[in-house]
Amino acid sequence: MINSLIELENISLSRNDNNILKDISFNIETSKALNLYGTNGSGKTSLLGIITGMTEPTAGNIHNFSGDDRLFEKIIYVGHKYGIKANLTVLENLLYSADDSKDKISRIDKALKVYNMNNLREVLTKNLSHGQQKKVSLMKTLVSDSLLWIIDEPYSALDNDSITIFNNTVNSFLNHGGSLVMTSHAEIKKSLFSIANYEINK
Amino acid sequence: MKIFNIINKEFLLASRSGYEIFMPVVYLVIIMIFFNISISYVSNDIILELLPLMIWISCLLICILNIETIFKEDYDDGTLEMFLIKKEGIEIEILAKILSHWILSNLPIVFVAPLVAMILGLDLTTTLTLFVTLLIGTPTMSLIGSIAAALTISLKKNKILVSIIVLPLYVPILIFGTSAVNNSFFNMNYDTELLLMTFLFFIFLIITPLACSKALKISLD
Repeated sequence: MINSLIELENISLSRNDNNILKDISFNIETSKALNLYGTNGSGKTSLLGIITGMTEPTAGNIHNFSGDDRLFEKIIYVGHKYGIKANLTVLENLLYSADDSKDKISRIDKALKVYNMNNLREVLTKNLSHGQQKKVSLMKTLVSDSLLWIIDEPYSALDNDSITIFNNTVNSFLNHGGSLVMTSHAEIKKSLFSIANYEINK
Repeated sequence: MKIFNIINKEFLLASRSGYEIFMPVVYLVIIMIFFNISISYVSNDIILELLPLMIWISCLLICILNIETIFKEDYDDGTLEMFLIKKEGIEIEILAKILSHWILSNLPIVFVAPLVAMILGLDLTTTLTLFVTLLIGTPTMSLIGSIAAALTISLKKNKILVSIIVLPLYVPILIFGTSAVNNSFFNMNYDTELLLMTFLFFIFLIITPLACSKALKISLD
């Protein structure tokens, strides 16, 4: 049985007579990842913008079946820009991103350990490498209560070890009832975690 | 994120931005030094009449200089996207950002400008009026400027456009502010000017968060 969290129905997007997306329909399912893949300029990031509510589609509907009216407020979005402050330390960035919960500090400690960044917690993120900054942005997923992660090209800038760590965190997240929408340029192997691939053609 | 967190974060970032935090006050002092030098041949009475007006114009220009940065860093580093995903409470968070910006950029001017005026010989009553008008006028200018900054955020060089948009909107504040100070200098009543400035402040306090949230969403769309 399909346990749908969000359904996108006939979504279209055009800008200045340029069709960016046309009649896109799919389900975002609970405990499952969805990989939106396609070539450069196919509209993957625009589609993520529509799911997060930052972009209004020209046509189509988005249905929320989660039973949580505030689902979209709790989305964790990691875009092309990492959403971290260069003049804050790794720890401060995570503290300001984390939900206000009692176990906030322990979650941050855990995230730092998972991504092997504990020794860099007091370092300003402007002094980190591109890949390390990407890891900080991905760590934000681990310090919140979100049921839905939306990540634009999660594997870009990551080394093999970090990719494995990310895949493991996704696996654990999906096993706990979460859902992931991500983009990439190619299909993702179904052996990595429970994932559906959806090709976007312009 | 709670309002306190936003203000706290902005203060922390400002404290790490180096000398930039002092720039508004430095600009004000530089302008006043040059103003004093350039009109030193004019009689002292005329200088004292012009002084509060000159301070008001300086403060207005300084407000324009830094307002375009209010959302810019968040836009450039991607934190604005995360911020706008939330559907509720954005307006309050936008107000918290404007408040932080005003405290960091304009509040020092509100305190330093009357001090400069007193050092240059302005009487205490007029100085106090100058302080009050700046205290009401500068937050209104920050509120107005934020709308323009939000509308032009996706443009790489938005400073000139922000200035063009806000200047006409700043004119009533400048007129009421300078008029109140001028009336105070000549011992005339200036209640109406203060009332109108307060009215403008509350109007923009209501309008700005809504307008900014819409403008930011349009800019990011």
